[in-house]
Amino acid sequence: MKKKTIALLLALVMALSLLAGCGGNDNQTPSTPDTPATTDTPTTPDPTPDPEPAPEPEPTTPGGDLPRAETLYFAGQQWGTVNSWNVIGTNQNNAMAIAGTASGYRTLMFETLYMYNPLDGKLTGLLADGDYSWNADQTELTVKIKSAAKWSDGTPVTAGDVKRTFDIGVQIANGTGSTYGAYISEIVAQDDATCIIKAAVNDAGQPKNPLKLLDFLSGTPIAQTAWIDKVVERNGNDSVSILNDAGDDVVWSGPYTRYYADDQKVVFIRDDNYWGQDASMWGKLPVPKYIAHTIYADNPAGENALKAGEVDVCQQFIGNIQDLWLKDGLPISTFYQEAPYGVCLTMPTAWYNMNIPVLAENPALRKAIAMAVDYDSIIANAMTNQSPSFADVPRSLMNPTDGEQALYDHAAVKDLQWTGNDADGANALLDEAGLVDTDGDGIREWNGEKISLNACCPNGWTDWQASMEIVAAAGEKIGIEITTNYPEYSIYQTVFTDPAQTEYQIFMWSPEAASPSNPWQRVNQFLGKEYVGVSNNWSGNWGQYVNDEADELILKIPTTTDENELKDIYTRLTEIYLTEVPSFSLMYRPSVFHAVNESVWTNFPSGDDGRGIPPMDCTDGYGIAALYDLELVG
Amino acid sequence: MKNTLRQVFHSSKFVGGFVIFMLLVLTMIIYPLINPGNPLEQIGVGTFAEPGTYVSLYDSLSSPTETMRLPGADEKRLVRSLTGEDRVAMVEWFTAAGVPVDDLDMTDTDAMLDLWFANYDVSAKPKGMTMAKRNYYQRLNNNLLDIRAGDTLIIADKNDETGELEEKKQVNKTDYVNIGEVANVKTLPLGTDNFGRDVLKQLVSACGTSIRIGLVAGIVATLIGLSLGLLAGYLGGIADDLIMFITNIFTVIPGFILLILITNSVGQEQRGATLVAVVIGLTSWTWTARSVRSQVISLRNRDHVNLSKLSGHSMVRIVLTDILPYIASYVVMAFILQVSSGILAEAQLSLLGLGPRTTTTATLGLMMNWAMLYSAHTNGSWWAYFPVILTITLISFSLNLMNTGLDQVFNPTLRD
Repeated sequence: MKKKTIALLLALVMALSLLAGCGGNDNQTPSTPDTPATTDTPTTPDPTPDPEPAPEPEPTTPGGDLPRAETLYFAGQQWGTVNSWNVIGTNQNNAMAIAGTASGYRTLMFETLYMYNPLDGKLTGLLADGDYSWNADQTELTVKIKSAAKWSDGTPVTAGDVKRTFDIGVQIANGTGSTYGAYISEIVAQDDATCIIKAAVNDAGQPKNPLKLLDFLSGTPIAQTAWIDKVVERNGNDSVSILNDAGDDVVWSGPYTRYYADDQKVVFIRDDNYWGQDASMWGKLPVPKYIAHTIYADNPAGENALKAGEVDVCQQFIGNIQDLWLKDGLPISTFYQEAPYGVCLTMPTAWYNMNIPVLAENPALRKAIAMAVDYDSIIANAMTNQSPSFADVPRSLMNPTDGEQALYDHAAVKDLQWTGNDADGANALLDEAGLVDTDGDGIREWNGEKISLNACCPNGWTDWQASMEIVAAAGEKIGIEITTNYPEYSIYQTVFTDPAQTEYQIFMWSPEAASPSNPWQRVNQFLGKEYVGVSNNWSGNWGQYVNDEADELILKIPTTTDENELKDIYTRLTEIYLTEVPSFSLMYRPSVFHAVNESVWTNFPSGDDGRGIPPMDCTDGYGIAALYDLELVG
Repeated sequence: MKNTLRQVFHSSKFVGGFVIFMLLVLTMIIYPLINPGNPLEQIGVGTFAEPGTYVSLYDSLSSPTETMRLPGADEKRLVRSLTGEDRVAMVEWFTAAGVPVDDLDMTDTDAMLDLWFANYDVSAKPKGMTMAKRNYYQRLNNNLLDIRAGDTLIIADKNDETGELEEKKQVNKTDYVNIGEVANVKTLPLGTDNFGRDVLKQLVSACGTSIRIGLVAGIVATLIGLSLGLLAGYLGGIADDLIMFITNIFTVIPGFILLILITNSVGQEQRGATLVAVVIGLTSWTWTARSVRSQVISLRNRDHVNLSKLSGHSMVRIVLTDILPYIASYVVMAFILQVSSGILAEAQLSLLGLGPRTTTTATLGLMMNWAMLYSAHTNGSWWAYFPVILTITLISFSLNLMNTGLDQVFNPTLRD
């Protein structure tokens, strides 16, 4: 009897603890929509979310609580603790201050000469005054510096700073040096306000690649000469120590500077002396006084914070994002109200490894697999429809923007394009090529061996994993054995960048999205010989495909100015790409996108507001213009 | 033997566990007969379709219709497009747009709609209104336009030659289709998962795989544990020391970590369901070995064993006929527990992404793994993981219940 009582008691305790566990969860779920619900109604007079607002603000201390109504919170950028503030160094892990490429450099703290806008492909002057100008044969690019541009110590930004930034980059081989060193021969400071960027020329006296000079304008943060000299001196002119200098005394020109950083969060504070409030630039200061980025454990944590209104701007891929407003009724929106919600500029691609004989010698096999893959399923599944389909935007070397789509002749390659899920066509192609199943096991053979391939991507990259599963399923339909393999990223990155690897046979990586040098850059990544055999290859052509005709055409592009000729070249390259199929893109992916929660801030850029500000996290390239227009809700 | 079985089946706990387990096994056998096909087939394009019956819209248009005037049909339709919250939001818009709303009856739909279409402007941006709210009003406006649409919808088809739309059919609000007349109707009792696969079908198949993995793991673990325990216990001396030395080493290394290391090093390409099962078995035999050994030690000096020894019986015969039958009930119980923990171990491994390959088999752990990777738990897709958890719970609950029942029958101290 006693035993039974004890057992009963135990069962009760268990049941209660279970209930408590569930209860905790239950509380969590509805609390998410609850929080913003209070601030949801714009007509109510005072929905200020912060319980302790303005009247007598307590002095904010670094690391302490920030006034919510003056702080813009971010997610999706900073992972782990900041390493350094050294803008000319490497490995800074400082995503809010030092991040980005020519497609949109983050100019909160350090500024570039121009800001790139992928919506119209234009460069807007930041440190630079007005438009740049080329000389006749595109060997010299002249840029004027704004007279108002000042460093944080009050000294003016000069052409000498641009020159010094480039020179030190080449000397110590930092990102700037290694990216542009081969294309820029030197930068000359004609006077304080004028600098001339000289292109490296080939034997014929033509510039190697003038497009890369444009990339330099929007992709290189300019550093101050005096500060660079100081860093060089204290490190005894040693490249490695300069690269690893902590840069705590760095001088900046941007509207924000660091306020606080630890392993929990990174906070920037507005520099109220910022030169950009001059009428020649923005004419005012950016609205939020603080920029804060909590360091989240993973994507779901950041996503939950966005849902709870703790994050204002989030640049993370969120599957089925429309549910956040359609089902959960949260005040969250994206740049476009309808799918794809952002601007699709990149094409995650499956590359065939040309070190594998069966792949290298059978273009029919490469094309057949690509034809059999169910792309609609990938787009619906991995991308939750945040991508145009290959029926909407037929496959080519171009991203789905109008500008790039206009660069090739659609009619000429129409017969070569495929939309996928075409097992019959793929089977016919394989039969015709003589790749047939002779021993009746359902798998086709080549040279007497059954065709068995693997499809790889990093573990935990769920949208890519789903894509690889769908590629494997396509193999089953056409008698090719494809198995999936998901190594950890740390291993994956060493294998796929090795030009001699035979371990991964079909594997995923994304080519470049958009920048002044695209689509040339991307085409070069798909078909260029430049990257074949390069060890530790992060640059392109990961499948090691070689085609001499394509390579010649690619080398011609940068110096070709005639639009018709350019179109012919791109059309021919597209033809080669679609016939030879050295790789196949699986989807178009938004690379310029963000989701915003309007619990506190509003007036974020949107696709239909006519302002032309791209959804670049309110911080990158011309996207930073959004910070100057923000308003508080209510 | 017969007597023992009768005793066993008199235990209500054992019977309870046995019935649950058998029901699961029966479902596994019968369900694929009713609903045949590949359980891993991606039938849905897109993620997480909700449980329910799906009727082909295309086919229902060509199915014969009946006209029915159901009372309340209009209200139901209205509630779908215009909720109470929407009405409040409409009034908020009127207020923001400066339209007097004092004598507006919020339940008077027609009046509300008239006022709405008279005042709403898609491009208007009232001060202080967020983008999210403006988007909401645009969607609401589209819904309201639908409500105002006429009683008849026209289905048109594009003429291939002229490219013009030609009217094919008119659909009235009072048209109904018998679901039995529609060519394509699919019932998905548990919806689809992140790959668009039928969850119930997959669950049944996964349940079978998991039980098989559990059985293989249980057999491997029990065989190893039993033979080592018998040897160590019966032989004693150096053999005992040696075997216990090895067993102790395996005991102190946490089994699950060993399991993770082995499955990870094997690599995904070789990792089939059988291999995972064997690896689980190889890492979980130690406690069986230890307890069998201690039981054998207590048995080996019994009179009947000594008598057999004196009669010159071989060691194998003594172990098999004089010792094993005495610990058989214990071994069976240990085996049941091994099966149960094998199933759990597979689920844990797969949840970490170290299970069998996704494209080849469905297992309970893999289902949970993909549900978790696609945040089913945060986006409310309960059908993708909750039935799996329930199944795992049922399997291990039934096995443990059987074990408890057996314990009550065979353990003299627990007998009533």
